Amino acid sequence: MQGEAPAIEIRDLRKLYGDKAAVDGLTLTVPQGCFFGFLGPNGAGKTTTIKMLMGLAPPTSGSIQLLGLPMPERSLDIKQQIGLVPDESMLFDHLTGGEFIEFVGRIYGLDRAMARARADELLDLFELGSSPKKLIAEYSKGMRKRVAMAAALIHRPKLFLMDEPFEGVDAVGARLMKDILLDQVRHGATIFLTSHVLEVVERLCERVGIIHEGKLIAEGLMADMRGTAATLEDAFVRALGMEHAAETLDWL
Amino acid sequence: MTQIGAIFWAQWRTLYHFYPRRGVAWSAIVGFIWYGLWTGAAIVMLRVFSNPSQIPVIRIALPGGLLLMFLYWQVVPLMLATTGSSLDLRKLRAYPIPDSQLFSIEVLLRVTAGIEMVLVLIGITIGALLNPALPKWSLLATGVYITFNLIIAVGLRDMMARLLARKRIRELVFFLLILGAALPQLVLARQGMVSPQLRLLITRDNWQGWPWAAASNLILGIRLAPSLAVLCAWTLGALVFSRWQFSRTLAFDSDAANARGSKSGGRSWWIEWFYCLPSTLLKDPLGALIEKEFRFLVRSPRFRLVFLMGFTFGLVIWLPMVFVPHGPLGEFFVRNYLTVVCVYSLMLMSEVCFWNAFGFDRSAAQFYFLAPVSFTRVMAGKNLTALFFMLIEIVMVTTVCILLRMPLDARRFAEAYSVAAVVMIFLFSAGNLLSIRQARGVNPANSFRTGAAGQQQATLFAVYPVTFAPILLAYLARYAFGSQAALFVVLAIDAIGGLIVYRVALDSAVQTAERTREAMIAALSAGDGPIAD
Repeated sequence: MQGEAPAIEIRDLRKLYGDKAAVDGLTLTVPQGCFFGFLGPNGAGKTTTIKMLMGLAPPTSGSIQLLGLPMPERSLDIKQQIGLVPDESMLFDHLTGGEFIEFVGRIYGLDRAMARARADELLDLFELGSSPKKLIAEYSKGMRKRVAMAAALIHRPKLFLMDEPFEGVDAVGARLMKDILLDQVRHGATIFLTSHVLEVVERLCERVGIIHEGKLIAEGLMADMRGTAATLEDAFVRALGMEHAAETLDWL
Repeated sequence: MTQIGAIFWAQWRTLYHFYPRRGVAWSAIVGFIWYGLWTGAAIVMLRVFSNPSQIPVIRIALPGGLLLMFLYWQVVPLMLATTGSSLDLRKLRAYPIPDSQLFSIEVLLRVTAGIEMVLVLIGITIGALLNPALPKWSLLATGVYITFNLIIAVGLRDMMARLLARKRIRELVFFLLILGAALPQLVLARQGMVSPQLRLLITRDNWQGWPWAAASNLILGIRLAPSLAVLCAWTLGALVFSRWQFSRTLAFDSDAANARGSKSGGRSWWIEWFYCLPSTLLKDPLGALIEKEFRFLVRSPRFRLVFLMGFTFGLVIWLPMVFVPHGPLGEFFVRNYLTVVCVYSLMLMSEVCFWNAFGFDRSAAQFYFLAPVSFTRVMAGKNLTALFFMLIEIVMVTTVCILLRMPLDARRFAEAYSVAAVVMIFLFSAGNLLSIRQARGVNPANSFRTGAAGQQQATLFAVYPVTFAPILLAYLARYAFGSQAALFVVLAIDAIGGLIVYRVALDSAVQTAERTREAMIAALSAGDGPIAD
């Protein structure tokens, strides 16, 4: 049953902050094995949605099922099968990259020796092994994203939830991360990511959803979403209705 | 257990990486002195409790002593808004860790809020075990009593932290907290009521249902079975309460709670006027810097809590002493009430105003280095902001004193304000240096400080005596010469010396900031391990 269920099934999800709905009646289904891009302008509700999926923020109403299991009722079972690339503030800055990955591995139930061995391999894979004593606090933004992704992989999850995984990552690092993610999808994993880098989304994702002011305004296959537009960026701007020319200020 | 082990291992690695870079020797020395003193107290307890001839004294004093320990462990951290180390649930909630394991770790971490009491209880336990006249129940009694304190501390802390995270409710809770703090002392101050009220809590013939009475009975071998039952019942009750509070904390969404309390309407004209006040009095960029500080601090829950505590707790805690009419203590407080409350307020506010001036607005620190403004001016802006809030604090204290018809005259005003001014000059001097040398990011949205950085705490332990030494000299002069004028003369000399020290310290701080800006910004932007400290 669990194998046939969608990786993510969200029904009428709402999250209110005071009077304001950060997410307003979101309904979305992401099939297993899909590379899904969740797009939207700043403040659209992407991070709030992903926080609710991660179990970091309780929804005001609506339901979430991940890998066929209801959230938050089965949150422990769900979390065990998820790989997170969260906001970078969730990293532990006073650990080295290797220590952080090992820590995450142990939290996911790997024994210490295996967690350490996998951490070393992941550090090498993500080209972070050259400075093993460097603290995460001393990492660049791109390195922080890489270490977060490395940690997300350590327990071989079935579903990845990623909040802006390519933010601040250089071209080489982004290429590496893309290859690894595509490989995971080929092996049956599902990836749900938010990103502002539309070129990356266009190249990687087979399905996309666009959220604006808390509501899902478009969702479908990449080719359908792009339609007649030359690029995903054009389609994105058109979907948001923000095609007007940039105005300039007199004094500028 | 793997997960608990992993969390503690990660915290150990965090401390291992952090402290060698931040003056571990200094922290160790001051920590050694502080905990050495408490170890000394534990040894005294051990000697007293191991001496059969002291049993009559122990019988009388033990329930009250255990009550004081309970208060030190549970109430004092809430009053000081410093509740020890705690799990960083914001980071850990994303992982598949059962709530029960998180709760267990949180219970163990409550030791950090009362480690001094654990030391004293160990002394009592060993002493009682060595005493041939006492039964051997002390180990069980103190074990259960410590467990009770650890568990109840989780519930109290979680409940308070959640309540203080909600706008509007936060203010109500705060005033209830003040009332709670005031009540025992007001009862104490009302002579005639003291004896029966106190007896209910601490003496031998008190209600035997209190946990401290039950623990005391167990140690002394009195009513063993009922006392053990009572203590276990309290511990079980604490467990139910704390688990309930902890599960509510896990499900708590502080962003949503804050948003519920926020008004969507416009801002009051007077608060906008208040924010703009510095810009009307001072030229930019200093005016702009201070205006930014005003806006930032007033919006910080941590600052608002400490600011309110600064004058309300000061007044409430020391007020009853004034009404104790006889004896040197009562007379001292009648004569020096305003001075004592002003200095107490300064000390409470110092955490948000002096010691870590850049910690609160860590994100702005980088801007200060980039902006075309001298760092001296940035620091002066921070000092002037602190001075302004301190003045408001002291004026409010004075107003309340006047409304309460306290025995105040011009001399007392002059003395209180002069002492506060001198203390402030020295606190600013030390604070500017520490703000640069020990910069540390702080979350201004947290009402409760989970714990001070070890090194900062250690430094303050050494800095406070130095900053208060000039005041002590002034009072010694008054005592030696029997003249109030001598006090003011020495205070004037202190102020002149303090201003020189301030100037030197400011220059030194600015030079250090320019030299170590990279390390400072890194320190300010660094987060924590799985356990926030």
